[in-house]
Amino acid sequence: MKGFAFGQYYPARSVLHRMDPRAKVICAVAYIVASFLCKNTFSFLLLLVSAFALILISRIPMKVVLRSIKALIFIMAFTAVLNIFWIVDTSEGAAPLVDFWVIKIYAKGLYHAAFILVRILAMVIGTGLFLTYTTTPIALTDALESLLRPLAKIKVPVHAFAMMMTIALRFIPTIMEETEKIMSAQKARGADFTTGSLAKRAKALIPIIVPLFASAFRRADELATAMECRCYHGGEGRTKLRVLKYHGRDAFALIFVALFIGGIVAINIFGRKYGWLYTM
Amino acid sequence: MKKKDKISRPNPQAVGTETGTAPSVPIMNQTENPKIRLENINYYYGKGTPFEVKALDSVSLDIHAGKLTGIIGHTGSGKSTLVQLLNGLSRAGEGRVLLDGTDIWAKPKDIGRIRYRVGLVMQYPEYQLFEETVFADIAFGPRNMGLSEEEIRERVVEAAAFAGVPADLMDKSPFDLSGGQKRRVAIAGIMAMRPEVLVLDEPAAGLDPQGRHTIFQGIRHYNRNTGCTVLIVSHSMEDMAQYCDDVVVMAHAKVLMAGDRDYIFSRADELEAVGLDIPQVTKLCQLLRRGGMPMPAGLYTVEAAEEALEAIFSQAKGQRKGGKQA
Amino acid sequence: MENTPFIHVQNLSYSYVGEDDKPIPVLKNLSLDIREGEYVVILGHNGSGKSTFAKLLNLVVDDYTFAEGTITVDGVEVMSPDLTDEEVLNLRKNVGMVFQNPDNQLVATVVEEDVAFGPENLGIPQSELRARVDEALATVGMTDYAHHEPHRLSGGQKQRVAIAGIIAMKPRCMIFDESTAMLDPVGRREVLETIEKLNREEGITVISITHYMDEAARADRVIVLSDGQLVLDGTPGEVFTHSDTLRAVGLDLPQCTAVSQHLITKNLPVHGEINTPEQCAEAILNAWKRM
Repeated sequence: MKGFAFGQYYPARSVLHRMDPRAKVICAVAYIVASFLCKNTFSFLLLLVSAFALILISRIPMKVVLRSIKALIFIMAFTAVLNIFWIVDTSEGAAPLVDFWVIKIYAKGLYHAAFILVRILAMVIGTGLFLTYTTTPIALTDALESLLRPLAKIKVPVHAFAMMMTIALRFIPTIMEETEKIMSAQKARGADFTTGSLAKRAKALIPIIVPLFASAFRRADELATAMECRCYHGGEGRTKLRVLKYHGRDAFALIFVALFIGGIVAINIFGRKYGWLYTM
Repeated sequence: MKKKDKISRPNPQAVGTETGTAPSVPIMNQTENPKIRLENINYYYGKGTPFEVKALDSVSLDIHAGKLTGIIGHTGSGKSTLVQLLNGLSRAGEGRVLLDGTDIWAKPKDIGRIRYRVGLVMQYPEYQLFEETVFADIAFGPRNMGLSEEEIRERVVEAAAFAGVPADLMDKSPFDLSGGQKRRVAIAGIMAMRPEVLVLDEPAAGLDPQGRHTIFQGIRHYNRNTGCTVLIVSHSMEDMAQYCDDVVVMAHAKVLMAGDRDYIFSRADELEAVGLDIPQVTKLCQLLRRGGMPMPAGLYTVEAAEEALEAIFSQAKGQRKGGKQA
Repeated sequence: MENTPFIHVQNLSYSYVGEDDKPIPVLKNLSLDIREGEYVVILGHNGSGKSTFAKLLNLVVDDYTFAEGTITVDGVEVMSPDLTDEEVLNLRKNVGMVFQNPDNQLVATVVEEDVAFGPENLGIPQSELRARVDEALATVGMTDYAHHEPHRLSGGQKQRVAIAGIIAMKPRCMIFDESTAMLDPVGRREVLETIEKLNREEGITVISITHYMDEAARADRVIVLSDGQLVLDGTPGEVFTHSDTLRAVGLDLPQCTAVSQHLITKNLPVHGEINTPEQCAEAILNAWKRM
């Protein structure tokens, strides 16, 4: 667990890694919007191609990205199956491809299932590549604090939220290590976490959870004192060592994503006008 | 200078450090019928990854039954890894750990039973306390062993006495105790399992001098009265010198030397060479010898140094008197 | 050098609020002065009140119900109720604290950002922040680790980062509250060398709270507290001659001091300041050669 890294940050040298985290947050949101705007075969194809293009740009090995998709395979399969069996084509002249007992599968259902798969895939790859893979959690926190700053005007504690995130990120590895230590200590006293009924196993967690909480409170208390001693008094009048700066590449990326959305909208409009295949 | 039981001791060996690649490494501190024997232990962290680290390198070592053995070495020397092997909390990729001559992993399913026979007190054990009362916390181990209430009570009372937990604390919450008291409760929790071997990782870390002495004296008293084999991991050479019978010195994932106190401290120069803090008096004696004084080598207690110095000074006085008369 | 001491403590008493609002006394009528540039070690067993004293100097105890007497830091009375927020911040900037557990005082996930935390809170302009962080990291010898994650460092390294975080605020005085207690010998050595450097080279007043006697031996001045009272105060050499008092309050003599004092009781001519093995060996050899 020593090598545990929070999130899935994958160090590499790519333009995506170098982008300003705020621009990346905006791009990720825009990309999700784009995936929802897709309406027909051509726009979904464009979406799929863009997702793989992003992987290439990020210089993250394909298999690393695919690994994260593996975790979602069940959900993806489930939605796909749901679409295949549930969608009934009521349009004129639409005959089911398969008509067996209560099961009727239409071509439209297959297309819908494929569309949904592409959408989920693109969203996972898009947010992953813009955010978790190429951006450290701390940079992400900075970006969110900066982007949400206008909310501070309506008394949303944006700074406090960001500070909490930072501290959480700082202490997650420490507490993971501590959990491991406490588990070893209790194992040495004969605690058994691996056998027995569910209720017994749940009970076996008490010797871990109680010390863990006690220690977390102690840490919180000591940290609060230490922060006070280092003149912490909230976000007011605070300066920052690391100031986020937009660069040319960020503007370029934002314009590109805007054009991408525009392109998808255009394809949708043309698709409707000329009756392209299988719109959603 | 007291050099008791020097004769009956087998001669401690310090080979093996140079012959690390040999398939079978001579056993350090070898004895007949050791309580614990480590045979050719190799232990890796992250084996097969680019971050592979060899934490233990061809370690072969005997721990003598009934003795108080200290294990000393820098952070990262492998001593904490070694300790976790002894009760099967982790398992070495290569080599065997023998308890009374039997491989502890002979029946992997029974490793839980080994943990009752080899009790381990981890570093800062006070952070493992969780029960509502001190009594219940000390009883956690014995209860897991499936003992009768009567037997549990008896063991808790006995262990509390050895560890120095006053009887009037028994019904208090462990969270209301002072740091030193919590530490003693945690140690009692392991002693109450009546292990055959008690292993303590830095039992006195962070305590003030009085707290240190109380803990170490308690452990020594326990060792002498129960005959339980005790291992203490520590950074402090001064504590080792004062309380341990045998000392195992770890450096760079290997056992650098092992043997009884007299033997280890007679090699103080080598200890210093690997960057270990030798006791201040040992350092002092070393400096005095270099300054030409006929101090015996390998002194490690204040009393022995005082005795030796007094002898030297009275001899010098005698010579001066003799010189004047002549 | 100055006439007014940097820290002036007069008749300070402090009690925690116990059950039923009863006071539990921690400090009893403590009076002492600390001059700018001094290197003072405060010794005492656990529960002697030394940590509470340190926290009072930085105004970070929880409850002032049972606080009496005065503490003046650089002419400002710190326990005064009319202290402004600005004065509190100024006090904490001038008197930096380093605590025992290195893990529980680092805030950020990257070393250099943690070092910047204090100055950021003080509102130091961004251009100067960079310089301060680099300088502080260089002082503690951690420049190469600027971009590391704190949880991957050794105890001694973490503690040096914590020290850098205080130095970056440019304090005039630093308090080390058992900052070496959780470290291994290597870590302790690193931190002690850093502390000494800060005092000797940067002129920072150092108050180090510990129960390691060999650390006390290296200070200019040693203060011994027991049960909230000042028991001894003087140079290490002076304090160590009171071996019985030290033992009575639960402290050990450094082994060398014990040996030399034993020889002195035997009327052997061992003289001089004896705090380190080197000094002790020299004194004994001199005595022996003169025989």
